[in-house]
Amino acid sequence: MIENTVMLLIIVPILFSLLFVALPKSLYKYLAWAFFIIGVALSVNLVLDGTGVVQIGEPNFAMFENIVLILEVLIILFILAVSAKYKNWPTLGLGIVSAALFAYTFTNVPGVEGASLNIDQFSQIMILIVNIVGTAIILFATGYMDEYEEHRHLNRQKIFYFTMSFFLGAMNGLVMADTLGWLFLFWELTTLCSFVLISYNMDEEGINNGFRALALNLVGGIALSIGIILLATKYEISTLSGIGTYAGTDAAAMATVALPVALLCIGGFAKSAQMPFQSWLLGAMVAPTPVSALLHSSTMVNAGVFLVVKLVPAFAGSSLGTAIAVYGSFTFVMCSALALSQRNAKRVLAYSTIANLGLIIASAGIGTPLAVAAAIMLILFHAISKALLFLCTGEIEHTIGSRDIEDMSGLINKAPLLTTLAALGMVSMLLPPFGVLLTKWVSMEAASSNPVVIVFLVLGSALTTVYYAKWLGTILSSSMDKNAVPHKKPETYFPLSFLGLAIVVTSIFVFSIYNYFIKPQVEILLKTAPVISGQAGQFTSEIGAFAYAAIFVVLALAVLIYLATKNMFTPRTSSYYMCGENNLEKDRLMFRNGLCSYEKSSVSNIYLQNTFGESKLTTLGYAISIILIVIALAGGVGL
Amino acid sequence: MNTNDILLAVLVLIGAPIIGCIASGIDRKITARLQGRVGPPLLQPYYDVKKLLSKDNMVVNPTQNFYVIVYLVFIVLSLLMLVFKQDFLMIIFVYTVASLALIVGGMSTGSPYARVGSSREIMAILSYEPVLILYALAIYLLTGTFKLTAVLDASSPMLMYTPLIFIAMIVVLNIKLKKSPFDYSTSHHGHQELVKGMTTEYGGPGFATIEIAHFYEYVFLTGLIFLFWASNPIIGVLLGIIAYLLIIVIDNITARVYWQWMLKLSWSVLLIISIVNIAFLYVSGVQLA
Repeated sequence: MIENTVMLLIIVPILFSLLFVALPKSLYKYLAWAFFIIGVALSVNLVLDGTGVVQIGEPNFAMFENIVLILEVLIILFILAVSAKYKNWPTLGLGIVSAALFAYTFTNVPGVEGASLNIDQFSQIMILIVNIVGTAIILFATGYMDEYEEHRHLNRQKIFYFTMSFFLGAMNGLVMADTLGWLFLFWELTTLCSFVLISYNMDEEGINNGFRALALNLVGGIALSIGIILLATKYEISTLSGIGTYAGTDAAAMATVALPVALLCIGGFAKSAQMPFQSWLLGAMVAPTPVSALLHSSTMVNAGVFLVVKLVPAFAGSSLGTAIAVYGSFTFVMCSALALSQRNAKRVLAYSTIANLGLIIASAGIGTPLAVAAAIMLILFHAISKALLFLCTGEIEHTIGSRDIEDMSGLINKAPLLTTLAALGMVSMLLPPFGVLLTKWVSMEAASSNPVVIVFLVLGSALTTVYYAKWLGTILSSSMDKNAVPHKKPETYFPLSFLGLAIVVTSIFVFSIYNYFIKPQVEILLKTAPVISGQAGQFTSEIGAFAYAAIFVVLALAVLIYLATKNMFTPRTSSYYMCGENNLEKDRLMFRNGLCSYEKSSVSNIYLQNTFGESKLTTLGYAISIILIVIALAGGVGL
Repeated sequence: MNTNDILLAVLVLIGAPIIGCIASGIDRKITARLQGRVGPPLLQPYYDVKKLLSKDNMVVNPTQNFYVIVYLVFIVLSLLMLVFKQDFLMIIFVYTVASLALIVGGMSTGSPYARVGSSREIMAILSYEPVLILYALAIYLLTGTFKLTAVLDASSPMLMYTPLIFIAMIVVLNIKLKKSPFDYSTSHHGHQELVKGMTTEYGGPGFATIEIAHFYEYVFLTGLIFLFWASNPIIGVLLGIIAYLLIIVIDNITARVYWQWMLKLSWSVLLIISIVNIAFLYVSGVQLA
């Protein structure tokens, strides 16, 4: 029964979060395995239950509504208390504004008779992401956190697992809620969870970055609640699907709701860390790696793009839609350029996340059926690949003690399986036949009617290739030393391998996924389905074809040829060629210099700090992105 | 897939390396003459490959040959997709796989020379990839589809509407063929700071694979130029040949520049003229008849 599954999806994570608090540390491993298995089972069950709307009416509704009210009050009180405690005045100010808005909503906005949860195909995809990728990350954490805490002399794992599990519950609620008031509650809950997790280390940096995340997300939350208030008082819309029904695909109706819709989108931009809000997600990487993985792939940032995509019927084809498309593609190119200049692997991934979310928002803004399909697929593929990459980075850090890309050279000799998985993750982000590139291809084809957007996408795409290629080449480069010995725990390597497998499987079955989930969802949103057919292993649209099957075959062929010829032609290994002046027994990378002493050669990648460095681009990015948001808002009020 | 298609595919698989090999031989002959030498026989590249295949498979890293095989098969795939008039954007992505495989192959050896060459080649990607995709966009704007069918069936040449992109593509050809002044990732001349760049640690059969892939790549790249005048295949082929000869001449009369210089040239001049061309196509809304 769908009602039961829906309730379980919210209750089970909360139950697990309480279990993590109640049970001792030694049992966490088994709890995490159980959570993973139950998460997979529940989310698959929801998909099998099919789509539908779960109505919550009297008498249960009154009880639920009271819980919602109490929770909202508690959230606001917590924010006020914690920001007062740490004397963080901007956050306190934003908390007070939120409280005022809440009071206004409570007194002035007419109450609703019932609430509804809307399970459509998009929600199903999100539930799958949250409960499979999310629980896999928690499983990884059980093999990761002990060592992490040991290095930092911390003992806060109870809070950690409690918040992580609770986060998944809140996220489940968020992607299923249709009533805007409830959506807002879950929205604020995820903000709060991310604050707790980011400031996990409880050092100055952690707390500052936590507050930055809290403050910027409160700004988004304020925009969201103003939007909700406007919708409720002026248009009597209280559900997310109601906005789509009201606006339809009718230009006049779209224009009337444009302002609240734009405000909701700004809430989404803040949550998805789009420029100018990007600093909170960059700051979030001070937290343990599983937190980054959770925030970047399966939860938090996905909530923002989820909302924006859900709002597509309210801006598709309008000037607001165009403004959103330009804004998203601008973030894409800007953050790709910023990623190019970074040496810190986690920062590269953070910028890559923001850039890809920008691409999702750009696709949603374009608003054609093809583009919206691309947006939803990108959310799915990006979540899997990015979770894998973050977890791999965490594991690499534990293996070699650094997250600097330059230190990772020779990793293939030190930890072959880990490197292969990381390489798979990177390849899946930028090369065919994998899902992320397929969606990038779809969005490029869809964007080709908008000159500004397409030029941004072209530049961003080239930059993406470059920053991943550098990293990929570095980890795959061989070195002659084999010092680090990886410690293989099943809790860490199972999630990694599982995610790697998921990338391959979803990419092979991309058309089935499209047919089952994406196509009906686009029909719901835009009332027309994209003209895509999937014969003969091709993804064929009206303007092009993506022959993914052929590429898989050729890739397999390459592997076969390699294996077949590996032992032919008398294979021999030798040392580097160093112009005849090398080959000391101890280190083969030594040169002899003019003074007849030896010097080690070192080569590093090119980072173009002077062109694409943060100090050069960030201010420009802020300025242009703020201008673009103002344009979107101005378009909203019909200027 | 009918018999004709299979025959065509086989013809491309066999014919392309022969053409590429002769083109490479012509290159060496012309270069020698320009330098006042007699030069090797026309089929010297073939003899080279034959000899390389007879040597031992000497490697630094056992997996390094995997990447050159990926390079070869993806070059062949992109050429086949071009011949079978597939989606042009897709062809570019497939071609990117090939280019990246060679770069990663170079880096995988861990040799400092190879890593220098690979780093520079990554910068080359940054220079030419936007131009290539804008070329694809121009095809879309002119025909309403990314599939090459429309370009090849058109009765008027594309060059009339895309002269600026054509100029940019000539430079891209120069970068992709790794000819002077852009020969900084790997070079036929034994320059000291680079040795043999990306391919330093490749020898024997592995290097032969790279050479064969280059033969296919020559055909593929001139094929991209051919598209500019595909309405008349003879002129199209001539255009490709002229572009190739031009690159050889440029190779011989210029000296190597810094990669930074190329990046500046590309992101200022090449991108701007391409975007101007694209803007013209948007504004005028011309269609290829």
